[in-house]
Amino acid sequence: MADFEIRDLRASVEGKEILKGVTLAINKGEVHAVMGPNGSGKSTLSHTLMGHPGYTVDGGEVVFKGKNVLALQPDERARLGMFLAFQYPVVVPGISMTNFLRTALNAKRGYDGKDKSKQISPKEFRSMLKGELEVLHMDDSFLPRYINDGFSGGEKKRAEILQMAMLKPEIAILDETDSGLDIDSIKFVAEAVNRMRGPELGVLIITHYTRILEFIKPDYVHVLVDGRFVLSGGPEVADRLEKTGYSEWGDVEDKPEEVA
Amino acid sequence: MPFNSQTLEEPTFRGEPDWLRDRRRNAFAAYERLPMPSRTDEEWRRTDVTGLDPSTYAKLEHANGYKQEMPGLPAGVIFEPLSVAAVKHRQLVEPLLFSTGHPDRDRFSALHAAFFTGGNFLYVPDGVVIEEPILRQHFSHEGGTTVLPHTVIVAGRGSRFYYLDEYIGEEEEGAGYRSGSAEIFVGEGADVGYVSIQKWGRHAWHLADQRARLEKDSRLRLFNVTLGGRFSKSRVEASLVGPGASAELKGIYFASGKQFFDFHTLQDHQVGNTTSDLLFKGALQDTAKTVYAGLIRIEKGAARSDAYQANRNLVLSDHAKATSIPMLEIDNNDVRCTHGATVGPVDPQSLFYLQSRGIPATTAKRMIVQGFFGEVLERIPFEQARRLVETELEARLG
Repeated sequence: MADFEIRDLRASVEGKEILKGVTLAINKGEVHAVMGPNGSGKSTLSHTLMGHPGYTVDGGEVVFKGKNVLALQPDERARLGMFLAFQYPVVVPGISMTNFLRTALNAKRGYDGKDKSKQISPKEFRSMLKGELEVLHMDDSFLPRYINDGFSGGEKKRAEILQMAMLKPEIAILDETDSGLDIDSIKFVAEAVNRMRGPELGVLIITHYTRILEFIKPDYVHVLVDGRFVLSGGPEVADRLEKTGYSEWGDVEDKPEEVA
Repeated sequence: MPFNSQTLEEPTFRGEPDWLRDRRRNAFAAYERLPMPSRTDEEWRRTDVTGLDPSTYAKLEHANGYKQEMPGLPAGVIFEPLSVAAVKHRQLVEPLLFSTGHPDRDRFSALHAAFFTGGNFLYVPDGVVIEEPILRQHFSHEGGTTVLPHTVIVAGRGSRFYYLDEYIGEEEEGAGYRSGSAEIFVGEGADVGYVSIQKWGRHAWHLADQRARLEKDSRLRLFNVTLGGRFSKSRVEASLVGPGASAELKGIYFASGKQFFDFHTLQDHQVGNTTSDLLFKGALQDTAKTVYAGLIRIEKGAARSDAYQANRNLVLSDHAKATSIPMLEIDNNDVRCTHGATVGPVDPQSLFYLQSRGIPATTAKRMIVQGFFGEVLERIPFEQARRLVETELEARLG
């Protein structure tokens, strides 16, 4: 059995069926890419995996560490070791990035405001942050700012990866992390993700375009069309999409090389 | 001590000067004459006082006035119980006391003007700057009583200082009648930071007026914090009477349980080239209800006035209800006015985002509420008050 198994996952949004039976096994140490045209169900997949309340699970299960995570709250999934890098990181006014990161780290360590021994020390927190900021070519001026407030597109995406680096998940879902990014930001983000790659991390990259896969080489590529995988294979699948787009699966216009 | 004319002849009031005793008698006559506000009055349409009979609580606390020591005030500064200042500094107090709002405005204002005790008078002479905030605490000691402090603050030309009125009661003490009003006179070029923190017990009736008058080129930063009381009605009013005057009126409230809070604000631009900036933010949970009604009034000659008004409500329970009524009354076209109101729950996207990082829903919600207040807490004009409010909020948000 794989470390993270999606079995026949079906999900809908506002009564409309979007995922029509998705099965995928991810082991730690592997990088999987899910590619698909607009409307294929990519963002439904990422949101359903993380437990967004706007998506309804109609069937199937997702098994991670012996648990069906579909029955868990989003925060329980996160503490179990899942992470979602958002396509559109949310602006939350009034909460500083520092406060946010520290609270998230403490939650992961099981600190609930009582047992101080579980709390991250200020020194440890600072030194962790410092290292990760350097990799992402970020300075610490954004730390006192409110969560994603006034961040540029590139800053938001880098901040997502910073959170991932701090929280050290075992299964990371990167949802359209390359969209809206300039080439430098993509490189910094890819460098950071590549540093985290290794036997302790499984990655699921969800993307419309092949561009990010030039920097983060996937082990497996799956093509999602109309809520189902229509093709799975190695990196060569991405190369094929690079040339032909999604047109071979019917009435799909957009080509992956069109960069947003 | 019932609320009657004999009480005004008691020793508490007998030592006061005749002019003040006359005023109290007139205010008491108004109290007797005026009906209870009814829900047919626009101001009281959503504010139910049928359960309030002040005579139930006709035992005055603070009858002798309470002098709070405030060492190290610069020479010339007067800081005295109002009853003392009324004798020693009649020429300063008499023309100003209740000049910002007539005691017969309604029955509760009249009661306050007739029986107020225990408030303070602060006079800061021209050009005097006081770095240390002046802190004044008002306590209620038991249920069943009435506490009616009245603060009068006079800022001389070019003076600058901070003042805090803190109203404190035991959380669970029995019902009582409380007021806590302030009149602030901001002289030409003066700069005043005023904060009030209302944390009476959960069963109190609280009715208060905070009124300010701003002269030429003066600045007032007023911050109202409302946390206590079963029923709390506050009127916050600033009259801009000199060009260049600028009023920043900010407020936060957190209502839980069965609390009911009412805020009526007024930004009264009597002359042109004046600025007012108002933001009241509140969070409600359980079955709490709040009403905010704010009026920007730009008078005919008040060209080039700039007024902003916003009320934002975060509703944390399906059974809590916030009503927000912004109003404009503009008699001059050459002005800039912006107003807006929002009432809504915690943003589900924000909640999901925080939860997706492992933060449990209850913690995430608390952070979002703190964040909601955080933006406006930064505008509390001085550090001590800011810390006090942050601590208080943290405790109440649990």
